Amino acid sequence: MFDQRGQIRIIEAFLSIAVVFSAVLVSANLPSSPNLSRQHSLASIGAQALVELDAGGTLANLIVQQDWAGIKQALDVILPLGVSFNLTVFNEEMQQVNSQLIQNSNVLGREAVSVQHVLASQTLSVKFFVLRLQLGWAG
Amino acid sequence: MAPYLSDLSHRNDPERLQQLTSHLLLQTGTPDNWGQSRITVPTSFGLARAGSSIPYELDTDKVTRLNSANIYLLSYSTLWEALGIKDIAFRIEVRTLFDLSISPTSDSTQGGQTTYTFDVTTEKTGMPVPTNLTGYVVIGTYSNKTSSSTSSSGVGTVSVSIPNSINGTALLIVFARAKANSQLVAFNAYAFGHQSPTPISSGSFTSLNPLNHVLNASLLYPSVVISNAQLFTFSYSFGLDLKAQGVQTQEYYVPSLLDASPVIMALTGYNGSTSFAEWVSYPQLPLKVGVDFENTEGTMITQSYVVTIGSAMYEAIVTLGGTV
Repeated sequence: MFDQRGQIRIIEAFLSIAVVFSAVLVSANLPSSPNLSRQHSLASIGAQALVELDAGGTLANLIVQQDWAGIKQALDVILPLGVSFNLTVFNEEMQQVNSQLIQNSNVLGREAVSVQHVLASQTLSVKFFVLRLQLGWAG
Repeated sequence: MAPYLSDLSHRNDPERLQQLTSHLLLQTGTPDNWGQSRITVPTSFGLARAGSSIPYELDTDKVTRLNSANIYLLSYSTLWEALGIKDIAFRIEVRTLFDLSISPTSDSTQGGQTTYTFDVTTEKTGMPVPTNLTGYVVIGTYSNKTSSSTSSSGVGTVSVSIPNSINGTALLIVFARAKANSQLVAFNAYAFGHQSPTPISSGSFTSLNPLNHVLNASLLYPSVVISNAQLFTFSYSFGLDLKAQGVQTQEYYVPSLLDASPVIMALTGYNGSTSFAEWVSYPQLPLKVGVDFENTEGTMITQSYVVTIGSAMYEAIVTLGGTV
């Protein structure tokens, strides 16, 4: 009787070790959220691009002048190679302001991140704009 | 940042590496003006300009001291010690956000002067960048300015005229400013012979080392004579004042300018009968310092940043990876 119980205990112990060991093996080989890291990187790049372009009121001026092609050109230069973007400009009532698409390629269907940035025009009657920049890795 | 700097248990965490890449660009280092002194070795490493209210504004001198062509260079091992994170190796690249290339197309002589025409291309990895251009030609004590532009296809021409009463090595310096944003700039220079043989490559006669608004020119031969020292930006040009003169060394004052443009300094002169025209940019770019990660295994992260140096924007690419 004791021999049978003892054997079952030993088998249980082996099974427990096997379960724990396999769990350790599987978790050690799991990537540490690579997609989250890439998305974080993309969001950081996008936010920084908008902040830099906004320095000195340049970006706000381009929006007031409705120079959508100029904004696209600036983003083309500032954003790294391989990043797709789509920028939408809203006014204070969250109505879309840009009459043309500001994008280098379509981010639809890609794993994309969205960055929002608020800026003010440096004009006599101050206008506020909300910028929504969607970014995705091309390819 | 403290956990990312010291906690080795997270050495393979991409989040930690990502935070450290921006740490290098957002911190001033210690002392916070370590870039300005020719001999100061920082006790902690950071490239940000002291007192700046703009994020990712880098110090012109700190960046310049990363360039291997500058005699006041800090070696990678010194920088690594100053960073103080033993399990991390790094590489930093700083360059213009787009490229400018110059190629000669034709020359014609008429009315006692020769007009040289060059194709100028402004692009970012094949994508055209429409720009406004300013070109300067320098030869001996003569210099001349011209303006032009590149089209939406990123191609333009610059023409410069030089009197035939002079001869020697001429230098064409071209600045490009993106039409969309005046802080986006690129530059390049092209040396050519005017009624003289093709010039010897730049750096053959002098070593030019800008730092802390002083240009140190080390003359590589006792027979080298400087005839002219000039400063150029997108909007301005003027002669440099001599600060000091030593044995095979001359130093010039470099004034602070508000122009959103890199500064290019050009020296012309002679070594015996051979004329030369040499130049350097301030900040001294492009540069690359640090470890080559090409064959490295393990976690590595590369992050690109838009940085401001002296009111103009550049690209800084920081790569970090584990050393063990």
